[in-house]
Formats: sequence, C-alpha cells, structure tokens
Amino acid sequence: MNRYIYIIPEAIGRSFLRICASIGSIAVFFYDFVLCLITPPIYIKSLLSQLVRIGYNSLPVIGLTAFFTGGVLALQIYVGGSRFNAENIVASIVALGITRELGPVIAGLMLAGRVSASISAEIATMRVTEQIDALVTLSTNPMKYLVVPRVLAAVISLPILVIIADIIGIMGGFVVGTKSLGFIEQSYIKNTLDIIELRDVMSGLIKAAVFGFIVAFMGCYHGYKSTGGAQGVGRSTTLAVVSASILILASNYILTSLVFTN
Amino acid sequence: MDHILKIKNLSKSFGDKSVLNNLSINIERNKSQVIIGGSGTGKSVLLKCILGLIEPDNGEIYFNELILDKKSRADTDFHSKIGMLFQGAALFDSLNVQENITFGIKKIGEKTDNLKDIAVDKLRKVGLDSTVLDLYPSELSGGMQKRVALARAIARTPEILFFDEPTTGLDPIMADIINDLINEVIEEVGATAITITHDMESARKIADKISMLYEGNVIWTGDAKDINDSQNPYVDQFINGKSEGPIKINLND
Ligand SMILES: Nc1ncnc2c1ncn2[C@@H]1O[C@H](COP(=O)(O)OP(=O)(O)O)[C@@H](O)[C@H]1O
Ligand SMILES: [Mg+2]
Repeated sequence: MNRYIYIIPEAIGRSFLRICASIGSIAVFFYDFVLCLITPPIYIKSLLSQLVRIGYNSLPVIGLTAFFTGGVLALQIYVGGSRFNAENIVASIVALGITRELGPVIAGLMLAGRVSASISAEIATMRVTEQIDALVTLSTNPMKYLVVPRVLAAVISLPILVIIADIIGIMGGFVVGTKSLGFIEQSYIKNTLDIIELRDVMSGLIKAAVFGFIVAFMGCYHGYKSTGGAQGVGRSTTLAVVSASILILASNYILTSLVFTN
Repeated sequence: MDHILKIKNLSKSFGDKSVLNNLSINIERNKSQVIIGGSGTGKSVLLKCILGLIEPDNGEIYFNELILDKKSRADTDFHSKIGMLFQGAALFDSLNVQENITFGIKKIGEKTDNLKDIAVDKLRKVGLDSTVLDLYPSELSGGMQKRVALARAIARTPEILFFDEPTTGLDPIMADIINDLINEVIEEVGATAITITHDMESARKIADKISMLYEGNVIWTGDAKDINDSQNPYVDQFINGKSEGPIKINLND
C-alpha cells in the first residue's frame, strides 16, 4: 500500500532528472560545437553542398507556403477589417505580419519538418552503421565534418529564404487583394511600401538566423546521440522535428517580447 | 618480448552493468592476435576503448610504450597509424569508392590523379579493379563492401589493423575468401593484426595467438595451434559450441 504513495513523486522526479540530463548533454554538445567552429579546418566543400541541400532545395516548399499564407492573411484581415470599416488596412497588416512574424516562423517550421528530419535521419544512420566511428579512425573530427557545415549552412540559408518568403508572401496577399477583394494595384503597393521599415525586415531576418541554428542543431544533436538501430533512427528524427518546432515557437516569443517590441 | 600494445587493468561499465572488468592483455608486434568470446562479452567495447571511441572508466593502454589518452592520440596522430575494418564495413554512403578509400590520405593540394592511382593500388590489394572506383556503397554487394572497407583500412599503411567480426553476416565461402584476404593483407602491409570474432573457423585460420574473453576478462591466451588442448573448460566449451559447460549465458542481456 505504502509503495503506491511514491508512484507520482517518483515519476515527477524521474522526468525532472531526465530533463536536466538532456539539457546538460545539449550544453556539452553546444560547447564542442563552438570549439569546432572556431578552430580550423572548415570543410568548405561540405558547407557548399549543405547550402544547396538546406537552402536551395527548400525554395519550392518555402515559396508555396509563403504564397498561401500571404493570401489567407489578406482574406482574414479583410473580414476582420470590414467589421470596423477598415478594409484599407489589409496591405499594411499583410506586409507587417509577413515580414515580422509569419515569414520567419513559417519558414522555420517548414525547415524543421524538412531539414531537421533529414539531417537527424542521416546522422543517426551514420551513427548506427558506425560511419561516425569510421570518421574518427580516419583522423576526421565528426563534429567538424558533419555538424559545423550543416549548422552554418542553415544559419546562412534561412535568412535568405525568409527574404524570398517575405516577397512571395506579400505577393500572395497582393494577388488575393487585387484579384478577389477588389483593391487597386497601385494603392495596394503604395500602402505596402509606406508601412514597411527596415527594422521590420531586419527583426525577421535575425529571427530567421536563430531558427536556422535551432533547426540544424537539433537535427544534428538528436542524430548524433541516436542509439538502438533502425528504431532509434526513427525516434531521433521525431525528437529532432518536435524539439526544433517547439524551440522555434518559444524562442520566437522570447525574441519578440524582449527585443522586437517596437 | 616486443609488445606494440599493452592494456593494463581496463574497466568499463555502462550504468551498473560491468562490461570490461580489470582486463589486461599484451599484443605482440607483427603477430595476428585474435580475441574470441560470445556475443555481448565486450569485444567491441574493448576495441573501441583502444581506438578512443569509448572512454574507459579505469586502466591504461600503451601504444609503443606511450600511454594513449585523448591528448596523446591527438598529438601523435594515433589514428593515422591504425586501420579499422568495421563489422558492417561502415563505408560513407555519400562518397564513391575512390573517395572512401582515399578519405584518410586526402591532403590539401594532393592531385586527383594521384588519389586515383592510390585507390586503384589499394583496390588491387583486396582483389578488386578500377571498374568499381565510381560506384557508391549501396551499389556494392556485402562482400565487395567489406573489400572496399579493407582497402580503406590499409590506405595509410597502418602499424596495427583492427578487424571487428570480419566474417559475420557473410556466407561460408565469402567468409573464407575474406579470411584469406586478411592473411594476405596482413602479410603485405606488414602490420600487427587484432581481430575480434566469435567465428572459430575464422579464428583458427587467421590467428597466430588467440585470447578468450569471458565476463569482462581474458581467461586464456595461447598460440592458435594450442587451442584444442587448452585444458580450459571455458575454451573447450566455446570452441566446440556446446550448450553444456561452465559458460553461463544470460538470456536477459
Ligand atoms: N554505448 C553503449 N551503451 C550502453 N551499453 C553498451 C554500449 N556499448 C556496448 N554496450 C553493452 O556492452 C555489452 C558488450 O557489447 P559489445 O562489446 O558490443 O559485445 P560483443 O562482444 O558482441 O562485441 C553489451 O551488453 C552491450 O549492450
Ligand atoms: Mg561486437
């Protein structure tokens, strides 16, 4: 009977210890990463191929999601705006919403699905097939050869992808606004350009760089720590996508509330 | 006696499970040492401790009388003096055969033609020719992958070659071919070889010396030819593959 009293506190204690352990292990992994980042060699060829894989190959996905997001934003704001007789606000809110918030967040989340998953599956497979051990026996630091190029490539790519997403998203709003909501093209463009300031775009790009780091770092971390064969590969992929998505949304809130409130 | 590798009182546990338990063994230079033992007795863990892939809890490893730790492995570029054949070959999926073989010798400024010649030369040593240079690991059969991995392991002319279960998962004929190949390669490279295996046929074929691992310790070491009259009940049970005997199999492992 007495035993049962402890079940809940034990479960809480165990999860707490597990969370502490993973925070510690991520911190150690991050420390190693920074050391490898600042010491030569840098594998330029890997970096370039990861830029293509992470950045260039993500263009269609990011472009499509941005276009539809901009479009639906225009529709919804029109509905909301018309209740206050303020339909004219559509262009401005689409522009601000996309550049400050939705561009980086949607691009980050899409990349979490696309890139975190593939990075972690790839590195986890290399772990369970002993390819990572093989790198070490061939005098190559796996952190430098695998992790640094992927993280750098994502940190460089995501801001560029977000600029493109911003443009396509605003275009999506423009197409919906002018074709189905009846706005005049010139005034829609003018409203957009009048409202956007450099700091709106910049805040989105800084967020994008942070999200790029999260996406690649979580993919690499969970892949690197993978154990337990094929099932382990699947588990680490899930963990990578889930943790990257949550961290993106959490850090987005923190960045917005602490730094980008004006 | 000239020992290239000395292992003293090595211990390693995972959680509360002790895998290596005060293990000591010396490896003679230019001999082929085979370490036998059942599945899960810590053979791979021992190898990974030597290679620096796993940090042991206790004990020392000496290579040419020099203690091996993280710092000395880096300072002396220990890994350039060894070659390792992994159980599943562990070829890099994203690189072709030539890039795999020359991965460890690729230096900045080394000409591509040069690398190709080196790769062809190593391939010849493992019985393959230049037609496979541009193939990717997924396009090779299991036996060919092992050969390419062996070519990669000898590419830097190592002082010690490590083999982790070189015949596991191969059919008997391919296993025998790989055994022959290992003997040829050891001869040609002139290296010390350390092989871990549970395949007794393979052990008899490639070993000069055999040691048996049981419960985290070396329980018998001797010349390969003496293994049939070791007078050791554990060794007898293992080499004859009997379920009756002193060896306890923990099926819950
Ligand atoms: N990284 C690890 N973490 C936890 N346990 C491990 C790890 N590596 C090996 N082990 C355990 O150590 C024991 C010995 O494994 P291993 O050396 O691979 O056996 P084998 O002799 O078949 O090569 C096994 O029970 C295995 O579960
Ligand atoms: Mg093993």
